[in-house]
Amino acid sequence: MTLVGIIANPASGKDIRRLVAHGSVFDNIEKVNIARRILLGLEATGVDKVLYMPDYFGIVPRALEHVRLKMSVEPLKMYCQGTQDDSTLAAKLLEKEGAKCLIVLGGDGTNRAVAKGSISVPFMPVSTGTNNIFPSMVEGTIAGMAAGYVAAGTVSAEEATYPTKRLDILIDGELRDLALVDAALYDDIFLGSKAIWDMSKVKELVLTQAKPSNIGLSSVGGMILQRHLAEDEGLHIILGSLEDSKEGFEVTAPVAPGLIKPVRVLEFNEISLGDEIGFDISPAVIALDGEREVEILPGRKASVRLSNNGPRVIDIERTMWLAVQNKGLIGRSK
Amino acid sequence: MAVEKEKLQWMYKNMLTIRNFEEKVAELFAAGKCYGFVHLYVGEEAVATGVCANLRKEDYITSTHRGHGHLISKGGDLKLMMAELFGRRTGYCKGKGGSMHIADVELGILGANGIVGGGFPIAVGAGFTAKYKGTDHVVACFFGDGASNQGTFHEALNMASIWKLPVIFVNENNLYGISLSQKKSMNVPDVAARAAAYNIPGLVVDGNDVLAVYEAVQEAVKRARSGEGPTLIECKTYRYRGHFEGDPTVYRSDEEVEEWRKKDPIPRFEATLSQMGIMTEEQMEKIRLEVSEMIEEAVKFAEESPWPSPEEVLEDVYA
Repeated sequence: MTLVGIIANPASGKDIRRLVAHGSVFDNIEKVNIARRILLGLEATGVDKVLYMPDYFGIVPRALEHVRLKMSVEPLKMYCQGTQDDSTLAAKLLEKEGAKCLIVLGGDGTNRAVAKGSISVPFMPVSTGTNNIFPSMVEGTIAGMAAGYVAAGTVSAEEATYPTKRLDILIDGELRDLALVDAALYDDIFLGSKAIWDMSKVKELVLTQAKPSNIGLSSVGGMILQRHLAEDEGLHIILGSLEDSKEGFEVTAPVAPGLIKPVRVLEFNEISLGDEIGFDISPAVIALDGEREVEILPGRKASVRLSNNGPRVIDIERTMWLAVQNKGLIGRSK
Repeated sequence: MAVEKEKLQWMYKNMLTIRNFEEKVAELFAAGKCYGFVHLYVGEEAVATGVCANLRKEDYITSTHRGHGHLISKGGDLKLMMAELFGRRTGYCKGKGGSMHIADVELGILGANGIVGGGFPIAVGAGFTAKYKGTDHVVACFFGDGASNQGTFHEALNMASIWKLPVIFVNENNLYGISLSQKKSMNVPDVAARAAAYNIPGLVVDGNDVLAVYEAVQEAVKRARSGEGPTLIECKTYRYRGHFEGDPTVYRSDEEVEEWRKKDPIPRFEATLSQMGIMTEEQMEKIRLEVSEMIEEAVKFAEESPWPSPEEVLEDVYA
């Protein structure tokens, strides 16, 4: 049986960045439309069964309202709290059920939550959030087809996917959390509304990606480095005050949708897998993939470690080409 | 988010004041000492507190049928409020209005409101006044998820958007309009999504996290004071008690209530204050005692206050 899991986050795309930046509200009805096209893409490629995370809006059940599918589409048996922990639990359950691919509808935050639950099943991340580096803006039909080809074995997961890195967040040496793209030391003591936009409070950054074409904090790395980070490389940046410091240099980067800010870079260093960066400020908070998530309580020691233990992600274009070459594509007949 | 220690302490004391006031009212109502309907705010304290912590005395609020928390947060006098619930002459409405008509214009409290969605036109009017007079006053308009299905909601957002009025529309989404689940009354889960129809920012915050509410409203107030117009902030929250006192709450499960109790805004804030070294347990206990005394004094004041006389029955009646 070919089983695919769908985790669609109804809460993504609605945080304070609608107010402090220029993020747009990602309507849940549009998520339903995307989920419907994903389901159609999955069925066309021979997937037998879909298990999905139940949610308070019912994204997948609503997606089923206007289509008739032969494959079985069922909810996971789980209690939903309406928090990001739902996505983590759903990923764990889907891995246990034997899902061959996890389709994730959400932003960086949603993918982070899913990665906390499973990293051994390939991800098909579909962007519906705000600061999105990890997931791509893709057409749902194609995302569904690519995920289906990988799940059905038409294209091998090894060939179709690329590896990703992650950042382990440690408090007093204990693993507390993870990030897929960026971890920021933020000079505040409250998690508050979670998103970050005040760059004067960002003191240090640790990145798995550094691209000027990214939106969010990892773009700062792209502006500095002017090259891609290798698969075994990360970047550590120490920032200073724009007003008080004359050391280092200034770069301007798109740190949130519509928010292009200057920052003063005091120091930057490429880091290797296994390297651990200590954060010396406490109390403070750490933002993970753009959201304040971890408190560093007074007297505690926080650090960030680069790892290559991120989920493997389906490369849609490569998968579709390989599917053509492997004669798996539908519609090619006499 | 820089918040002064004094403000954090005020937030804590204010949330406790609301909780204790409401729990005392529940007790007194059951004992037959309060009159009329009361709709209690237990569980939603973080919303009114986080909003009003951003307001000045001269700013305005419009409230709802579940208004005690809003009034307390904007500086309402506990003794006058309690006396009103007791139907005494010393109350805010001379004992003739009850819970849903308490107002204090001097404090910018433009009234609790017995009509669902009744606060919207008043808020827009107050916002228009601020703009017309060239002040930088802002208006916080509290309303529930049920009210967001009323015509006044849509008219108010439309007008506030067109005229860029300094109104912060604060939706307290406690998941139920009386006994009707939001799932059965709306085909979208987020009231905030409706902001897009009026070209204003709309966002969702954790309404049980006072600091999340505070930070979001802080930004919305900045936007309003600088003439950029209204914002819609949806605070996801929950009321632990029924819609009204006496409501058997057969429309929701005990498990659901228990899940929300785990997210109770007061213990959450206590943990943050304690872990971050802002307040000690001793300091918090001192505030608990102060609040308890304030509530007892308000009850004593109400109990000892005179009843309105029969001769006053037609005074202050306008329609």
